Amino acid sequence: MNLEGLEMIAVLVVLGLFVKVLEQFGLFEPIGVEDSTEDDFELSTVCYRPEGLDKLQEQTKFTKKELQVLYRGFKNECPSGVVNEETFKLIYSQFFPQGDSSTYAHFLFEAFDTDKNGSISFEDFVMGLSIILRGTINDRLNWAFNLYDLNKDGCITKEEMMAIMKSIYDMMGKCTSPCMQDDTHREHVESFFQKMDRNSDGVVTIEEFIESCQKDENIMRSMQLFDNVI
Amino acid sequence: MAAGVAAWLPFARAAAIGWMPVASAPMPLAPREKRRTQDGFIIINVSGTKFQTWRSTLERYPDTLLGSTEKDFFFNEEINEYFFDRDPDIFRHILNFYRTGKLHYPRHECISAYDEELSFFGIIPEIIGDCCYEEYKDRRRENAERIQDDADDENNKEGVMPDMTLRQSMWRAFENPHTSTLALVFYYVTGFFIAVSVIANVVETVPCRASPGMIKDLPCGERYALAFFCLDTACVMIFTVEYLLRLIAAPSRYRFVRSVMSIIDVVAIMPYYIGLVMTDNEDVSGAFVTLRVFRVFRIFKFSRHSQGLRILGYTLKSCASELGFLLFSLTMAIIIFATVMFYAEKGSTASKFTSIPAAFWYTIVTMTTLGYGDMVPKTIVGKIVGSVCSLSGVLVIALPVPVIVSNFSRIYHQNQRADKRRAQKKARLARIRVAKSGSANAYMQSKHNGLLTDSPEQASKEAGQAFLSKTNLSFEKEHHHLLHCLEKTTNHEFVDEETYEKNCMEVSSVNPPGSRCSSISSQHGLTSTCCSRRNKKTFRLPNSNMSGSHAGSLQELSTIQIRERPLISNSRSSLNAKMEDTVQRNSEHPYVTSAIISIRTPPVTSREGNNTSDSPDYSQRNIVKVSAL
Repeated sequence: MNLEGLEMIAVLVVLGLFVKVLEQFGLFEPIGVEDSTEDDFELSTVCYRPEGLDKLQEQTKFTKKELQVLYRGFKNECPSGVVNEETFKLIYSQFFPQGDSSTYAHFLFEAFDTDKNGSISFEDFVMGLSIILRGTINDRLNWAFNLYDLNKDGCITKEEMMAIMKSIYDMMGKCTSPCMQDDTHREHVESFFQKMDRNSDGVVTIEEFIESCQKDENIMRSMQLFDNVI
Repeated sequence: MAAGVAAWLPFARAAAIGWMPVASAPMPLAPREKRRTQDGFIIINVSGTKFQTWRSTLERYPDTLLGSTEKDFFFNEEINEYFFDRDPDIFRHILNFYRTGKLHYPRHECISAYDEELSFFGIIPEIIGDCCYEEYKDRRRENAERIQDDADDENNKEGVMPDMTLRQSMWRAFENPHTSTLALVFYYVTGFFIAVSVIANVVETVPCRASPGMIKDLPCGERYALAFFCLDTACVMIFTVEYLLRLIAAPSRYRFVRSVMSIIDVVAIMPYYIGLVMTDNEDVSGAFVTLRVFRVFRIFKFSRHSQGLRILGYTLKSCASELGFLLFSLTMAIIIFATVMFYAEKGSTASKFTSIPAAFWYTIVTMTTLGYGDMVPKTIVGKIVGSVCSLSGVLVIALPVPVIVSNFSRIYHQNQRADKRRAQKKARLARIRVAKSGSANAYMQSKHNGLLTDSPEQASKEAGQAFLSKTNLSFEKEHHHLLHCLEKTTNHEFVDEETYEKNCMEVSSVNPPGSRCSSISSQHGLTSTCCSRRNKKTFRLPNSNMSGSHAGSLQELSTIQIRERPLISNSRSSLNAKMEDTVQRNSEHPYVTSAIISIRTPPVTSREGNNTSDSPDYSQRNIVKVSAL
């Protein structure tokens, strides 16, 4: 081998060792910071406290005892006081083990998170529940409409309804009887629009929705199911 | 289903509002739960330490003692608490399980005490959380080994079974020389002869003084050839006899022949017989001489006599992968360094590194830091490479060695422990016998004196078996109602996997609107699996409930069958092979509702096995509802 070439290599080796020694002494920071994990820890230890029990009682239609029970359950599952979307999906999926409930849970999350800050606090949670469980039938229908209206523009389009319907059918999972076809939910959406869309303009507005629901016996009766959930 | 999220069930049911307006079928009625008076406290007194929790916390797991009505047996009216005469420290963990849904195993607790508490409170240990599961399993295994060892000792040491055949007693004598004097004698004799044989092999090659008349020194083996031959013959005869005896006495001859020790035996005595058979043929005598090398294998026969040798062998076997890795990495390094060395020294004159394989020798000697000095690099590059080679050799060899060492140490200590236990056992048993006899004597004494009192047995646990617990079903009822609402919304039902597969296959062969629901048998199957799974700790009798509903459902189903028979004759016969009843549904409308529904229990519940499974209750309620829209 060429002697000069080897001397070069030897020099390079010595330089490399020199850099390593400096690193050991801490005088030379290598490129590539690994401290990003520390920031994550700080975020997760943020704790959130809800407003006082009395204030919540004024704002919702629950009694004190009910609020206590609700909060205890809420805090048990989310010790930090807020639910983020991941935890929400996880909790909801435990009730529907056979299917995939993440999409529907996402829509629910959007509906509960009224101030759109990416997490549900106990107030959001309890407000939503108050409307569904203790509100009037109209309130409940309004809330349901709000759930369906994904972009919150006041009317439900066919695409939005398709998405909602697909998410509901996803929750059933694969093993159903009769077998789930690919377009089962599409037919369901068609029939829904036929029923709800009075002026057949392709969208369902809030008035059409409430009117059609009020005319439907089944829906009215099912709305009363929520009276004694808690 | 995690009952830990039971608190969120009201939310999940409220969220079902999203399904109502789009549902195409009417929703089922909500379960009427009796309004419990406020969720009250429950005080549990465990040997004086009071624990307090909500009633609903305990009711999350109705399969356990605390979650069912079994705890009523422990209710004490005087203090108005539930009193358990158990360990409060372990109870803390059990109560935490109810609170958080996770069961932890405290490392400082004795594993058998912990297991006892778990079984008393009706909690299966498999639900221990991941954080503590490894530790728990390790301790369990150690305990099991200890018990197994004790059991084995019992079998071996005690009772000479009177009806042992000669063969069995011979085998026992061979394996455990300490059992009888004859075995001990045999053991020492063979040991002596092994030593004699090995020494003779060694001394054979020492140069003796030349016999008068000869010039150069002869090895002793050739000078006293006859003496050595006689010695060798005697040793081989003993070894052969021993081998044959072992072969006869072995319980499984095939296994014995294949075992390592027997192969060593055979290899040790083979050269002699081959030598006998072979004549003084010049060609093969060279090979014959090589064969004599195998006589050194006789030294391995010592491993029957030395436990340390056996442990060493066992360690090497168990560290086979580490040794393999060591070998592999060494080979890689040797090849690399030899190549570099060869090319580095190619230029220098009179270099010893004539080829790469020649450089292997240098590399090995350097890496193991032997440094014989027969091959030395002369160029600067060669010297640099040589120094790197020796440094890396130290590292490569030093890395896998501690693993092997720790393995050896662990096995060695285990053996030490076993020996110590055996030694102490005699003394322990003697002391126990003395204590027992002492109490028996006292008993005799008191009987004589007429001071006998009888204490009644405590059998509280057994009596609680046959209780149905209805109070904890409200959670399940609500959950099922929720799932039922979803089914109604989408006009499909939940079925289990086999039914689904079957249905899909049937559907593909028959025209679309006709599809079957063959769920009675699957329901049957489900009940049996559920029952068998919870057989150990169940407090309900699902069979009685099931059979009632079963009969009822069969009734209605048969009527349906009669009506629809002509349609599906061909496929029905195929299904008949597997199950007895198939249901034909009224198939006028694509969205037909249920006959019988069955839900496959999800695999997740097997880990949290204390929660009741969904299916029995669910199917109970929805016996037969045939309605076509």
